[in-house]
Amino acid sequence: MRSLIRPLVAVVAVVTLAAGCASKAPSSSGGSGSGSGGKKQFVVGYSQSNNAEPYRAQLNLQLEYFMKQHPDMKLLPIADAHQSSATQVSQVQNFIQQKVDVLIVSPNEPAPLTAAVQQACQAKIPVIILDRSVNTDCYTSFIGGDNYEIGKLAGQEAVKQLPNGGNVVELRGIMSDQPQIDRDKGFRDGIKANPKIKIVADREAKWLKDSAVPIMQQWLSRYPKIDLVYGQNDPMTLGAYLSAKAQHRESQMKFIGTDGLAIPDGGIRAVQLGELTSTFVYPTCAKEAADTAYAITHGKQVSKKQVLHTTQVTKENAAQLYKQYDMSGKIGG
Amino acid sequence: MLQEVLLRMRGIGKSFPGVRALSGVDLTVHAGEVAALLGENGAGKSTLMNVLAGVHGDYDGVIEVGGEEVAIHSPKDAARHGIAMIHQELNLVPELSIADNIFLGREPRTRWGTRDRPAAHARTAELLAGLGLRLSPRRLVRSCRIAEQQLIEVAKALSNNVRILVMDEPTSALADAEVHRLFEVIRDLTGRGVAVIYISHRLEELEEIADSVTVLRDGAYIGRRDMAGTTRAELIQMMVGRPLGDLFPRETGEHGGGDVRLRVEGLSLRAEAGRSALHDVDLTVRAGEIVGLAGLMGAGRSEVLETLYGVHRPAAGRIELDGEPYRPRSPRYAIRRGLALVAEDRKAQSLVLGNTVAFNASLAALGRYTRLFVDRRRERAAVAGQVRDLRVKTPGLNATVRNLSGGNQQKVVLAKCLLTEPALLLMDEPTRGIDVGAKAEIHALMSRLAGKGTALLVVSSELPELIAMCDRILVLCEGRLTGEFHRDPAHGPPATQEDILAAAMARQAVLDQETADA
Amino acid sequence: MPDQTATEEETVAAKAGGSPPRLRTRMRRLLPVLGSLQGYIGLILVIVLGLATKGEVFWNQTNLTNAVGAFASRGILAVGVTLVILTGGIDLSVGSILGIGSMVSAMMLVHHNLTPWEIVPICMLVGAFFGLCNGVGTTWLRIQSFVMTLAMLSVVRGLDRQYSNNVSVGTQVVNDQGHLTPHSAQFQDLGTPGHNVLTGVLGQGVYYPVLALVVVCVVFQLILSKTRFGRHVYAVGGNATAARLSGVNVTAVTITVFVLSGMLAGFAGPIDAAYSASADPLAGTSYELDAIAAAVIGGTSLAGGRGTIVGTFVGALILTLLDNVLGLNAVSDNWQLVIKGLIVVAAVVLQRPGFFAAALTPVRRLIGSSPREGDEK
Repeated sequence: MRSLIRPLVAVVAVVTLAAGCASKAPSSSGGSGSGSGGKKQFVVGYSQSNNAEPYRAQLNLQLEYFMKQHPDMKLLPIADAHQSSATQVSQVQNFIQQKVDVLIVSPNEPAPLTAAVQQACQAKIPVIILDRSVNTDCYTSFIGGDNYEIGKLAGQEAVKQLPNGGNVVELRGIMSDQPQIDRDKGFRDGIKANPKIKIVADREAKWLKDSAVPIMQQWLSRYPKIDLVYGQNDPMTLGAYLSAKAQHRESQMKFIGTDGLAIPDGGIRAVQLGELTSTFVYPTCAKEAADTAYAITHGKQVSKKQVLHTTQVTKENAAQLYKQYDMSGKIGG
Repeated sequence: MLQEVLLRMRGIGKSFPGVRALSGVDLTVHAGEVAALLGENGAGKSTLMNVLAGVHGDYDGVIEVGGEEVAIHSPKDAARHGIAMIHQELNLVPELSIADNIFLGREPRTRWGTRDRPAAHARTAELLAGLGLRLSPRRLVRSCRIAEQQLIEVAKALSNNVRILVMDEPTSALADAEVHRLFEVIRDLTGRGVAVIYISHRLEELEEIADSVTVLRDGAYIGRRDMAGTTRAELIQMMVGRPLGDLFPRETGEHGGGDVRLRVEGLSLRAEAGRSALHDVDLTVRAGEIVGLAGLMGAGRSEVLETLYGVHRPAAGRIELDGEPYRPRSPRYAIRRGLALVAEDRKAQSLVLGNTVAFNASLAALGRYTRLFVDRRRERAAVAGQVRDLRVKTPGLNATVRNLSGGNQQKVVLAKCLLTEPALLLMDEPTRGIDVGAKAEIHALMSRLAGKGTALLVVSSELPELIAMCDRILVLCEGRLTGEFHRDPAHGPPATQEDILAAAMARQAVLDQETADA
Repeated sequence: MPDQTATEEETVAAKAGGSPPRLRTRMRRLLPVLGSLQGYIGLILVIVLGLATKGEVFWNQTNLTNAVGAFASRGILAVGVTLVILTGGIDLSVGSILGIGSMVSAMMLVHHNLTPWEIVPICMLVGAFFGLCNGVGTTWLRIQSFVMTLAMLSVVRGLDRQYSNNVSVGTQVVNDQGHLTPHSAQFQDLGTPGHNVLTGVLGQGVYYPVLALVVVCVVFQLILSKTRFGRHVYAVGGNATAARLSGVNVTAVTITVFVLSGMLAGFAGPIDAAYSASADPLAGTSYELDAIAAAVIGGTSLAGGRGTIVGTFVGALILTLLDNVLGLNAVSDNWQLVIKGLIVVAAVVLQRPGFFAAALTPVRRLIGSSPREGDEK
């Protein structure tokens, strides 16, 4: 009896796995059959560096939505590289093999992706680079926000909030990430306008709320006077807010975040609720990417570099911005 | 007749943190001599030999090899002076082949510097053949039985050019036939001028092989005797410091008149890697009876016990316990039905070495002291009782089992079995590798248990032990019963070493005959 | 503690058996569970370091509670991982199981409006299910636990991300008046930093994650040292063959420890979600390594059979207080990594059984004092 169970479990496991693979297979292979049907359909492949970041998840949703607005554009299932450059390179190569009409890439890291993008370029596939750069000119268009600018605006907001100067603490993302470096530099340049504003402490919280909470607790023990918290993304800033609130010191300080996602747990809602003083929308580039892909396939000129500007979220415009960016009602299935 | 002195150790002393393990020990060994080293466990034999083999870097005293004083601070030093040691604990890498093990670290090379496997295999095959082992050099050591692994250790030592070979209980895992094979090898070596230092508990072996014997007790030198003209009783007295009663204290007379406790009919087991097959084995054990199982290595003796205990699943056979049908399912179920097993390899199969005496002793019977929580007081009282009855020498119930001597470890295993109050006690080599004193005590215990009506089924490679202890002896050969001998001549053929050995090798003889005819 | 397997230190009970237990014997019986002083050296060093450099700022209830609370969910994982390691296995999937536990709790709260009394058991069941998968894989399918739980780490994280659509879910549900809903408020009690529960019953009350960690440690230390199952766990880890031949159901013990480990990871999920007021699809990533580190620093042998929950608790305290002390001293992040790694090595070496005896031997020999009896070679 028991000797039967073991193989049975194995068989069930294998069948389950196989079924899982099979259910995915048609959609990915079906995508390559472009040009079928009466009207020409343009196939777009998108390689995302990591689906598991809320900002990128939001970007995925938006891109799917905006692509659907163009009936003759077809977006293949988004490939997730799980933060691995190696995975992303092979995904890009897969798209090249499938001869997509437009390739959109959100590079995980610049250097490893450069060769793959060049391959696409040699295969005469137009490439749109989102958010992070690659080390080659052989692409059709770059769309991204300006992290330095966002950092600088945050610094200027800090100057505005602290006219008499004060103590600032800064929660940083992963130290080696380019957005972290740019936002930090921008912020420091921004607060130079008022020399009485001092950054008394800064630490790496790895973009994570969980990591930010104990760091802020330590700062609260150490510094009796903290006037402003700058977080390089909203989750870290909200983590700091939680810590301060637990010690009833949240009213003594301002919180400035970054990202401004229109999700229930995101920065715009937090500003609306009064938890954050202000945050800055880091544009997802989704609408621009969809429009650019459409323009390319329809033979129109596109500009090589499109820098998107940020929008500051304040208590006044939060509700309206949330409505504008919220994707939850717009995408069915 | 004696050749020149090859090794002289004088005033050897060695301390471990908190323990003086050796002090003022002398040892003299001539070329071509088999010098036995005798002493109870913990007497310092292994420590002395570890000093010689360079395992311990520092020691007091002087070592001379070939008349010159040498300093031995590492195994490399020892090897340079032609000293090799076969440790009691096997020193083989289980996942490597026999040939790879033998030439580990000094693999033969081809002209191009790559490993010369054919040469290694050829040399290995030669060495194995010299020991009478019919194994492929490519075979993984993992899949060899303990006895075979021990012989591979011997082969490994032989593959070095040794002048002094130390063997620490090389025969403890060997059956008689293998022992004789080993002795031939030893005689061959001594004939070539090699000195062999031989550590063993088996006095009858020493009588056969040793030229001289040096006795240690409690880390001190007691004396040296020529083997010829020294009686066993004298040696035992030197070892234990007092005259010892009968080694096998089972009084003769009528035994085994009780009800049938275990009846096995047609028990068969399929062979698998590392285990022998059984064919159609029938046996009965009565309450109060001690039944012995004799045979060569691989004859299936352990397999009979293990199958009864639920370790293996029998292919066929009917088993009854006290008249009730019994189908072995698992050791857990066997214990519930009143069985207990003293396994062959106490370190690998019986003990959690890193844990305490109390933990080990109560492990199988824990349910008796447990409601929601283990009742620590009742548990310890029960264990303490066993420790007292079995005279386990331990600093306390919380002593780590690893630190006890072999004999005391075996007593802990017995305590574990006895706490389950077994009706049928299965014992696999219950006195292997333990000192004479503990051996006698275990024999006394077996008699006592039988007297109280426990049925015992005992496997042993020491025939004198079986003959002295057992009411009946069953002989297995190649998984079949080939003989049954009785203490009481009225019931059947009487047990003698010669007859038992003949039965144990019966099939071998038949096979040899067949090949000879062909 | 860390160097011993929860046994008493009293000498042979055979002699002491009859006499009534006096206070001293009872004390001696209690102390060994806590272990020898040596096991606490790492902890003492960290505390001394904290007191020396930051004094009041370090040694006050708020800071200490915060520090322990930050590690509480990982500490709970460490308890489960310790159980698995004691049997000679390893559980790498606990971080992912915590992640899915936190996501399930947030979903149950936000979409089904359940109370924490319903949410926590559901999360524990979810965790136990994945633990069961680990156990079945390692026993029936005979997959090594490292491989099996590594696979589960991936499977569970994938399910978590699929379930959440890669979007974090906030656990602060606000009603029309802008207040937290009652269930959300209760849920936040599970882990909001600095928020105390049982206030009034227990004076100033206690911070729930710390309470949960302590209760889990006490319960599982009792299970390990007092129950038959606990003994069997040590036996399986110490020598699985001997355990089986002694009538221990090795398969059942192995499956059970994986189920318990998964269950504890599921239990830690809601705490983690409440702590950061949201369930992130990445929550718990690499927590398994912190949990294993806590167990190992606490003296648990990766070979199995040796270790205690008390030890793991101390290991967790060392890790979190060290983090706290370095943070309070504003040591740069890069140097924090270096120092933490070195302290882990130092703690393991210093707490090794017999370390000081071995270190003192040459000294003693120099002084020339007579050798005392001790454990034989």
